[in-house]
Amino acid sequence: MSLLIALLASTLFISNAMKDEYNKIISTYPDIVITNQKALRDSTIDENEVNKLLAIEGVSSAVPRVWGNYYFLNADKKFLILGKDEFETYPNPLLNENLDIKNHSMLISLGVKKILDDNYYHNYFNFIESNGSIKKMQIQSLLNTKESLKNPLVIIMNKDDAQEIFQYSKNEVTDLAVTVVNRSEVAFVATKIRILFPSAKVSIKKDLRVFYENVYNLRSGFFLTVFIITFFTFFIIIYDKVSGLNSEQRYEIGILKALGWRVGDVLSAKLYEGLIVSLFSYILGISMAFIYVYLLNAPYLKDIFLNNYDLIGDFKIVFSVDYNTLSLLFLLSVPIYIAATIIPSWRVATLEADEVMR
Amino acid sequence: MFTNKISKLFFLFTLLSVSLFAYPQISQDVKDKKIYPMGEKIYNAKCKGADLTQFKTYDTLFSSLQKDKPCGDLNRKHTVALSLYLWDVKFKNAKTYKKLTVSKDAKCQVCGMFLHGHPNWVSRINYPKGETYNFDGMKCMFKFYFNNKEGIKDILVQDYYTLQTINARKAYFVVGSDVYGPMGYELVPFKDKKSATIFLLEHNGKKIYSFDEVTEHMVRNLDR
Repeated sequence: MSLLIALLASTLFISNAMKDEYNKIISTYPDIVITNQKALRDSTIDENEVNKLLAIEGVSSAVPRVWGNYYFLNADKKFLILGKDEFETYPNPLLNENLDIKNHSMLISLGVKKILDDNYYHNYFNFIESNGSIKKMQIQSLLNTKESLKNPLVIIMNKDDAQEIFQYSKNEVTDLAVTVVNRSEVAFVATKIRILFPSAKVSIKKDLRVFYENVYNLRSGFFLTVFIITFFTFFIIIYDKVSGLNSEQRYEIGILKALGWRVGDVLSAKLYEGLIVSLFSYILGISMAFIYVYLLNAPYLKDIFLNNYDLIGDFKIVFSVDYNTLSLLFLLSVPIYIAATIIPSWRVATLEADEVMR
Repeated sequence: MFTNKISKLFFLFTLLSVSLFAYPQISQDVKDKKIYPMGEKIYNAKCKGADLTQFKTYDTLFSSLQKDKPCGDLNRKHTVALSLYLWDVKFKNAKTYKKLTVSKDAKCQVCGMFLHGHPNWVSRINYPKGETYNFDGMKCMFKFYFNNKEGIKDILVQDYYTLQTINARKAYFVVGSDVYGPMGYELVPFKDKKSATIFLLEHNGKKIYSFDEVTEHMVRNLDR
């Protein structure tokens, strides 16, 4: 019983933690992102197009973003490079925290530092541009971040350095990030933007959240499988109890009746028995789940949910008590188990004592 | 012919030299949404202790920022942003109101609804002695206002597009649009007539009213 509850509880805890995690990630995204496309492939955009966006009522800010991936051949790893202008305000708080990057310097994350150290780059790194020339970038310091990053290989540098590494021209940027302060206007503004930029891909944050939810919510694949298994096992136990007591238990009840116990007493004894068993297994199961998920970080179970879509990297599960989940599990296990123990005992107890003992 | 060419050259030269420092022609939207926030950031980060109030014209301010560098080394884009910010915003010191935030248990004074579920629609009336009343939308606020016109210090509402706090008495309201507030049909507030007009056209509004044109009868009509 407890193992079952533990399994179910763990899956529910993990799914809740993931929901919190991707909500947190999504909160750093801009409301609308405009990516230019050529032949339906992502391309770059001129940063002065931002002025057209600012003319739209409802748009509270629009910033050009320079970012991309750099493949480091020797380590076979991709670095995520984020370029920033020192005085622009970006939707991602990571870019707004780290200020004052010197020219031709960069801030790197722990993961990047480790890789560079392994390859003997301690104070600087040489980026190889597409025409073969080398761009030397000094490592200024480690990234100052408060929380664990989704992608641990991040480098932040000045916008013009990033543009040089990607071989962008001076006004060329990766995409435009738009913030719409009034949430009820986002869809409307997105429509206006699509008319203004007919060949661009306009992605809305809300659609992204729906996508994440569909991947990680309770109704989809992995969770469903686990649920079905646990419920099935649970109901086998219940069925076993309901389909009648075995002869030993009938004998027990018969003796009690012979001793003078009334039906009500037998039932209340059975009730206490069922209550104690189910409550105990519930508490044991929940605590096991708590320890497994929050203290040990759910080693094997988490991988089932994470690896398929590669959207959320490895993350630390934050402790949170979700009363909804806990009460759901309680209502599913305890009353049903109690009912399953009482009903057959009631059936038996109402027979005459001598009938039972036969 | 010769003098004609020289005079043309001279004219071009003066035009160019004037435009080097002249106040740049940038649309108001771009200024509000991009230039001023950037300028504010630069000012807060780099102009500590610099005395910038002695400049009487935009050109002198700009050339001083470029040559004397009281705020450090800035590229041209940043210098333009900073000088525009200082000239248009900082030196004018226009009155800005703080964001209207409410606590979790705040209720509308008129209809009793909890306000924290609809933060974009919160409006407020302040009295000089410090009493404040919060409302859930413009309808409730107007109902209160028509019954208590005396002694009010400010009436604050949030502009629909930017959610900035604005003085309701200078605002414009659009009636009959397809945007509903938490209490149903609403008057939607805007900080200027231009955004009110755009809203009216896009959301099928019926009419724009200034604060003084709103009547009690109009507000009651919205309750159908």
